[in-house]
Amino acid sequence: MTKKLLLAAVIVMAAVVLVGQGCGGGQESAATLTIWETYNDEEHPVFKEMVQRFEEAHPGVTIDVVRLPFAGAEPKIQTALTTRTEPDIARVDVSFLPKLAGKNALAVLDDYVPEEFLADVFPVALKSCMYEGSLYGLPDQTNGLCLFYNRELFREAGLDPDRAPATWDELIIYGKKLTRREDGVFGLGLRNSLWWSFPFFNTYGAEFLSEDGTRCLLNSPEGIAAFQLKVDLFEKHGIEGGAWRAGGIQNDLGFQNERYAMIMNGPWAVKSLKRTGIDFGVGLIPAGPVGSHTNVGGNDLVVFKSCPNPELAAEFLMFVANEENQRNWALTLGQIPVNLKAMDAITSEEHPYLAVFVEQMRTAIPRPPTPYYPEIENLMIPEMQAALDGSKTVKAALDTAVREIDKLLAGE
Amino acid sequence: MSVRPTSVLRTVVLYVGLTAAAVVVLFPFFWMVVTAFKEPGQAFSAEILPSQPTLGNFRRVLSDFGFGRYFANSVIVATTAAVFATMFATCAGYVFAKKQFFMKDRLFTFLLISLMIPGMMYVVPQFAIINKLGWMNTYRAMIIPHLANVFGLFLMRQYMMTIPGELLDAARMDGAGEWQVFRKVMIPLSIPIIATLFLLTFQFHWNNFLWQLIVANVERLYTVPVGLAMFKSAHEELYTLKMAGSCISVLPIAVLFFFAQRYFIEGMTMGAVKE
Repeated sequence: MTKKLLLAAVIVMAAVVLVGQGCGGGQESAATLTIWETYNDEEHPVFKEMVQRFEEAHPGVTIDVVRLPFAGAEPKIQTALTTRTEPDIARVDVSFLPKLAGKNALAVLDDYVPEEFLADVFPVALKSCMYEGSLYGLPDQTNGLCLFYNRELFREAGLDPDRAPATWDELIIYGKKLTRREDGVFGLGLRNSLWWSFPFFNTYGAEFLSEDGTRCLLNSPEGIAAFQLKVDLFEKHGIEGGAWRAGGIQNDLGFQNERYAMIMNGPWAVKSLKRTGIDFGVGLIPAGPVGSHTNVGGNDLVVFKSCPNPELAAEFLMFVANEENQRNWALTLGQIPVNLKAMDAITSEEHPYLAVFVEQMRTAIPRPPTPYYPEIENLMIPEMQAALDGSKTVKAALDTAVREIDKLLAGE
Repeated sequence: MSVRPTSVLRTVVLYVGLTAAAVVVLFPFFWMVVTAFKEPGQAFSAEILPSQPTLGNFRRVLSDFGFGRYFANSVIVATTAAVFATMFATCAGYVFAKKQFFMKDRLFTFLLISLMIPGMMYVVPQFAIINKLGWMNTYRAMIIPHLANVFGLFLMRQYMMTIPGELLDAARMDGAGEWQVFRKVMIPLSIPIIATLFLLTFQFHWNNFLWQLIVANVERLYTVPVGLAMFKSAHEELYTLKMAGSCISVLPIAVLFFFAQRYFIEGMTMGAVKE
């Protein structure tokens, strides 16, 4: 009896497989654009609504939106490119754009996006779309790190809960007041990676890559001094809780559980932190010798070379980045807009957290575009780890990393 | 008969050790389940059990995220693939274990060589073929490329080789045809390994992420692992929802193991023959 059931089940399955097909994706008329995007759960409906308004404004144009998980988007795009089944438009991480542009997969948009429009695009974000002097996309999202601090722990330590430390020296003084080793509470929790260390390098005026992108410059005296500070916060001043260690309490987690009084984090963290009920404030990255400069991350929309209608695609990109949509995006989702005019709509009275991020982004320093960014991170992380745990001096660690990175940039 | 103290001691040590190991192994499951019942934002709160357990995560996962659809897709794909892959491997394993034919060993070695190539290497060529066949966005694309399973063949052959040929000869002597020998002798004796292979292939397809993602360009064909990946964006992860989705996703595997474990334990009937 069970055997018959099993047999029946198999037949049903086979039938489902054979019948449940024919969901064609292929045929595209010139008036259809396919977009692969990686927006999160909150962003997706806002984006869909934007797409709908674009379709209404352009009768006859259909936009096919496919939502991909962030983690699988890059391999999926790369596989699709090998068989020429890529979409017309994709949303990619800023570090992925130079790789695609370098492989000649993207359409150059210089002829389709007028100068007047580019003048309104936030320059820091726009720089991530430039590769070897040409425009390969438009930003749809930009972000950078700021300093989050726990106002309650500040009060307990006798510090002003409305004022974050303005300089690194001040951060050390604050940190010493906030650290209570016996309770496992530390002034600061930091992550280790190149991206998360750029606020240190940038505030010391250390350059990442040479102008032509062939050499890494992080072992300059400024670079060494900047990373020495990160090491000292843990080793010498004892105010950093070792959040970067394997098995250490991760920075987000430590902040939520009030083990770290200050952490660096991006605008994406604001909403989830509010839900935890912690009383927190956001301040600028503490200033170093050359001021307060954060790093830049985010996403760009790109058009693939195979797109039969790049002009229409570019128009959609401009639609997403225009003032109205960016203002709506920023106010609905609490994110940093990529349009300068939309930035002015964010006031510190109505949007206290976001206003700090917007202010911080104005002095942010973007990475020079390189197709090798992920590889550079991989070479950098173990050396930075060695410097942080004291098994190497900062100079030795950065020298080794830079030597390997230069080989990578020169080779191939 | 008195119980020797050393054996009592041994039992105590054994049980303490096993309990400790079980706690370590089960803790992630425990964390998954309790987190699934927590309010968003409380995923990493210090309290181990949620003070106000909620079903909201499950509700959202099933309604807003369409997990029902992903689940159905996964069931269709994993079940069909596991049934056919196991069937093919059983037939082929029998032939390689008990039959003689031209170049048999060479052919088997050749097949084994293909096992040495990392699976990732196949992704692009397989994708190119699927695309040429026009199978993009179909269940076929998710199932058919994985039906010929050399590992399964290897597993079956090795197991079936240990079944004495005398048993088959005895059946033939009693007048069994080739088909009957296979069905009435070989399959019943191989049930533990068939069940094992079914489980392994089911689990493989249930967990397969990259392939199912790249052959589907429409969300209604996404499977559970692809759906789970949606909870992680560039900088944050919706842990409570992800754990609710994970709870749903482990159900079929847990149920399968629950029912199949007796086959593992039942094990060997091979003592039936005297050499």
